[in-house]
Amino acid sequence: MAGDHSETGEADRHDGQVSATSDGDALPLTGHELVETFPRAALTEHTTVRGLAPREARTVPVDEVLRPALAAEYPYDPFVHQARALDALERGENVCVATSTSSGKTDVYALQIARDVLDARAAGESSTAYVVYPTKALARDQQRELAALYDRLGLDIEVAVYDGDTETGEPRRRIRETADVIISNFMGVNTYLHDHDRWSRFFGACDLVVVDESHTHTGVQGMHVAWIIRRLKRVLDYYGSDPSFVCTSATVGNPREHSEALLGEPVTVVDEDGSPRGRRDLVLWNPPPTDRRESDEGAGTGEADTGEDGGTFERQPASVEAPRLLSHLTAHDVRTLMFVPSRKLAELSVGRAREHRREHPRVYGGRGPSSLEPYHAGQGKRKRHATERSLKSGALDGVAATSALELGINVGEIDATLLMGYPGQRQSFWQRVGRAGRDAADALSVLVADYATLDQYVVDNPEYLLETDVEDAVVDTANDRVFAQHLLCAADEVAVDGTDAGPVGFADRNRLERAVEMWRRAGRLTGHLETGVSYTGPPRPQTDVNLYATDDEQYQVRVTEGTPEAQAPDLEPLSQARAFRDYHEGAVRVHDDRQYEVVEIEHGGQQPSVRLQPVDVDYYTRTRSEVTVLDATSEATREVNGFTFHFGTGTVLVHHAEYDRVRISDNERLGVGIPTELPPLTMETQLCWVAVPEPVERSLVERYADYRVPDLPEASQSPHLGYVGGLHAAEHGMIGAAPLELMLDPGDLGGLSTLVLDGHLAPSERAGASADGASDDATDGRLVDGTGGPGERADGPGSVEAVRTALERRQREGDLERSASGWFVYDGVEGGLGFSRAVYEEFEALALRTRERIAACTCGRPEGCPACVMDENCGNDNQPLHREAAVDVLDHLLGDADGPAPTEEGGSERRPPLFYS
Amino acid sequence: MEGGSARLLALPPSVVADRSADAVADACDYFDPDGVWVLATERAPRAHATVRSVTDEGTPVVHTPLGRGAAVRYDRLPDDEGSVEVGSVHDPALLPDVGERRRDGDLGERGSAEPETDRTTFVACPVEVAVDETRLSATLPAADELAALAANVPGDVVVLSALLPADYDHAWSLDAPDGGEVTVRLHGLGATEGYGSRDVACLTLSPSGAVGTERVGTDRFGLRALEGVGPRTAERLRDAGIRSRAALRRTPLRELADVRGVGRETAERAHEHAEVLATGEPLRLTTAPLPGGPASRPPLCLDIETDGLSPTIIWQVGVYDPATDEHRAFTERERPDEPGRVIERFLTWLLGSHPDRDLLTWNGHRFDYRHLTSFVERYCPSYAAAWGEYRTHDLYDWAVRRDNALLPGRTNKLDHVARRLEHTGSDTGLDGAATAAAYERFVRTGEPLDWARHEAYCEDDCRALWHVYGALRDADRRDGSAADARNVDSEQAGLGDF
Repeated sequence: MAGDHSETGEADRHDGQVSATSDGDALPLTGHELVETFPRAALTEHTTVRGLAPREARTVPVDEVLRPALAAEYPYDPFVHQARALDALERGENVCVATSTSSGKTDVYALQIARDVLDARAAGESSTAYVVYPTKALARDQQRELAALYDRLGLDIEVAVYDGDTETGEPRRRIRETADVIISNFMGVNTYLHDHDRWSRFFGACDLVVVDESHTHTGVQGMHVAWIIRRLKRVLDYYGSDPSFVCTSATVGNPREHSEALLGEPVTVVDEDGSPRGRRDLVLWNPPPTDRRESDEGAGTGEADTGEDGGTFERQPASVEAPRLLSHLTAHDVRTLMFVPSRKLAELSVGRAREHRREHPRVYGGRGPSSLEPYHAGQGKRKRHATERSLKSGALDGVAATSALELGINVGEIDATLLMGYPGQRQSFWQRVGRAGRDAADALSVLVADYATLDQYVVDNPEYLLETDVEDAVVDTANDRVFAQHLLCAADEVAVDGTDAGPVGFADRNRLERAVEMWRRAGRLTGHLETGVSYTGPPRPQTDVNLYATDDEQYQVRVTEGTPEAQAPDLEPLSQARAFRDYHEGAVRVHDDRQYEVVEIEHGGQQPSVRLQPVDVDYYTRTRSEVTVLDATSEATREVNGFTFHFGTGTVLVHHAEYDRVRISDNERLGVGIPTELPPLTMETQLCWVAVPEPVERSLVERYADYRVPDLPEASQSPHLGYVGGLHAAEHGMIGAAPLELMLDPGDLGGLSTLVLDGHLAPSERAGASADGASDDATDGRLVDGTGGPGERADGPGSVEAVRTALERRQREGDLERSASGWFVYDGVEGGLGFSRAVYEEFEALALRTRERIAACTCGRPEGCPACVMDENCGNDNQPLHREAAVDVLDHLLGDADGPAPTEEGGSERRPPLFYS
Repeated sequence: MEGGSARLLALPPSVVADRSADAVADACDYFDPDGVWVLATERAPRAHATVRSVTDEGTPVVHTPLGRGAAVRYDRLPDDEGSVEVGSVHDPALLPDVGERRRDGDLGERGSAEPETDRTTFVACPVEVAVDETRLSATLPAADELAALAANVPGDVVVLSALLPADYDHAWSLDAPDGGEVTVRLHGLGATEGYGSRDVACLTLSPSGAVGTERVGTDRFGLRALEGVGPRTAERLRDAGIRSRAALRRTPLRELADVRGVGRETAERAHEHAEVLATGEPLRLTTAPLPGGPASRPPLCLDIETDGLSPTIIWQVGVYDPATDEHRAFTERERPDEPGRVIERFLTWLLGSHPDRDLLTWNGHRFDYRHLTSFVERYCPSYAAAWGEYRTHDLYDWAVRRDNALLPGRTNKLDHVARRLEHTGSDTGLDGAATAAAYERFVRTGEPLDWARHEAYCEDDCRALWHVYGALRDADRRDGSAADARNVDSEQAGLGDF
């Protein structure tokens, strides 16, 4: 990142003086002082203050790391991680540097480039490097940083940006033909590979490829990047180059696994951070409960509300509380950078902060107003630059900024960072927190929690943030759709042949052969692997690559005619699954605090699209979805405490059939079950599932047999509902908690909990299908041939309702008696993106987080709340859910439960074929 | 082309719907087909009528969805004395029926008791290839029907599908109804979605089963064929009563420029282009000298053949020297795994014999030079610097991309332009894709090619290039100066020497 270098730049760095200066940089307000001085009506918020010890810089003498020519000019002793990374590069290894924000990662590759260039020039040759950032935004800043370093080192190394903003024609040609370092982004790399011959000089001399901020390449986008890198390697190989790769990464849980998956090559990880850090006070701030209900027992205890009128316990939103803290901090001359989730909140927060100051004249009486500014991408460039400058110069006391300020922009000395809500991941949490007190200065960081699953988990479990472990970055190249698309591009670039097959090639032989044969049959590739396969479709298959999707069916987001430019939301095209779920006709969406109604969804044709109209309504919409899983096939399995985990593939059938209109103010339903008029969607994807052992199921069904789902007619109640509510709650809780372990968007995961796993598995996977010699059960035969199962179908799986009916029939026929119960977690993207595989691999860790979260939730309601087991995307309206049963199931899974109380077999009623998403 | 072949013109319905009858007439006039197939899976009676109205009485116009019920249509091309027979059905479910009736001699040439097994049966039917990228499989949903057809038809079967692009050609092995395997060749008839600009395709069908394809962009017919005339301008011209190129040619420029939305410049360019297309005479629009012009000797005309669009080898380099009227071919006939050999032989000769000549190609900046340079750098790096010093010219780039001339071809492909300028080559029956595929087969199987034929094809292109160059050299200029009045031109002075 751009900040890295400036961090280690001469202005900021004070090597060897860390302990001496840290006292001098002491904060005007410590964490404890903040908590003590903040004005409050009653002591109702919940705070935790942790002091993080300072860390001294650890360095290696520069002449042990760099050759004399460079060492003489480089003004610092490198940090140990920089030295180790440079050593590994010297040995020709690929390196992943995974250290904290502003620890000087840029200098690692900048110096390696310098060494390569010096070596090459000594031999009368040239050496080039390709530096790839996740976005266009920072390329120019970075170019300046690198150029400045080379100036200082007295090296004539030309650094150029080559991306969509680079003028076409002569300027581009000149860069390709003369630049030593080219900075671009992956969309650009993808596009430019088509014309690789024009880059022959650059590629032929390429000694280093840099994947900056490599941890951001996860999920769908990460898959595409992994394939673009593989294509780039083929082209580099074509020009005889075999460069080393440098990944720079924030600290992630699995730097080796992640960077090796991206590069397809072994990587040396350097994660021992040698950069210094001052003292840091971390304050976790849980706002006070709201007193929306005229409370009789006093909302002050923060205890749960179990009211029967449906009112739920809530806390003051972070968007209200955090501006007060901004006001308070700046009043104490603490220069504060507050991160907010939207443009609108950036604007609102400044006003709210001022209001707070006015409302407490006695507390702040003697102080004049602070100088505060919002900062977000919706502002003009000039306005933003002005804010950046005044922040740097010290003219501003505080800024409320969106993530537009997150990366790379140098903001000078900041005393405190204030986070409005948990950003979802430890990795980005630390990245934001790291903006204050850079280098060895002391710093204060405050997280104001929202009332949501992850936020509440974090404030309840501060250790979570402090663990050295962070989320795993998930990237996966198993999605065949994405692979097949990049194969077309690869064949267009350089003919694909047998040398592309194999473990270090583009793909393994079998996969390559299957894909080539498919495209040959489809008329998009021609030739054979023995002699070379070329591309024959419409020109430039690279332009079809969308880094944010796995299939070609992309819905463009448009606005109705006459909508002012400023009101048009800035949205990437939507996947079909996303469009169907959230953008059906009549749906109300909120972007940047502005409401839009979807007035039209256009399918098929060249350009499917959804059309939005800005509206001002008092309701939001909630989509009701029916989901089922079919034909799940296991590819990997393992057993823990009697529970069986599976990973595999299957068909997910989703029908976003209806939606409700819900009034914003009181959650009153204004319209129920309005049809979306959309057909069901099917998705071939990756999934994992867990089967609960029979004795555990039996004991838990018994324990919760008396549970009744509120508001459900007696005829629909069943003694199984408590237990299946537990499965359902565990499934929701697990998806909600997944971001605690994995870098993913829970919106990309879906789940299904079921009493009859067998009904969702491919015939060969069913419990009854395994030949059980001792069994003389007459139903076995039917199970083996599987007739009539929902999986057997001539023309598509039909509707979710048809599946339900088929399951009911099989249940009546006794077909499902031996089925286990359990739940599925699937990737909500055609072809899958490796998330459910990661869930499978991390199942116990995730189950543990989920259990902690559910058990500790202060809502105290048997059915849970949005902070523990409710999921806004639930297709079954969050019913049935049973927190306690979920905790029991998870305890058994984790081996923490007492053995199930043995009960008489056959005592329970026949299991109903219930399933819930 | 072998004798007895027939020309089948496939018109996507959108083409017929979007364009005036004049454009359809223009397409029919250009391709001179023996039959016209209107490609639409749904009934498009108006499209059918439009085509009907502009074709000769005897030319079959086939639009299967208009047929009644389970009708199987059968046409002999050319009409009456035809040697190619094409069955047409609108639904793959009817394919087994076609097979049985062919077997029983109940379809096609009546009276011939013995069905001829050496003749290929062509069947036009909308068959799709279902691609499932998630499973990495491409299948034929109508596989059973196709297999039943192939199992019964005597001789080979080629199914022509409107759901596949016209360059689609794949032999499918299918499970026969009786257990064995049958082969069905599937060939595309029309451009489908996702293949960029749509083309009109004309297929040349031979009784032996060979299929040749010529594709021309849908916008190359009628008024749209004129430079600067897009769909909107064409519409405006039609509204103003100017419905064909001939009518446009007759309209005085002043009047043309007065049509609402048609500027002076557009009018002028369209007028000139209409003239060029009608007369077959190219027109130079600028005073820019021809590329490689002012030199003591003419440029060498160059063409390369590869094994595909992402070449692993440049297996033939053809060079025609207009100064001596000699052609040389550098061909790799033995060691296709050593791509450096041809390059080295070619460069050794070029540097030795012609160290100071310029080079000329058709679209070389995008293909020939591009790949040659890349191969030289990879396989003969020692020659790279010397190769880099050659002055390379691209006549296509000069004329078309740089707007220096209007060419009289229906498209600006070299063979279209050269043909219109009455270049007569040896008819090898090859095109770029065919010669590439043939070499690819040689590499794989080791079975030698008819080298002479493939070298003749490449030589044709080199000579055609010089033919076009000559035509442009002699062409009139927009400023009205006739070709022969301009021999004071520096380029002319230089070229006058040979």
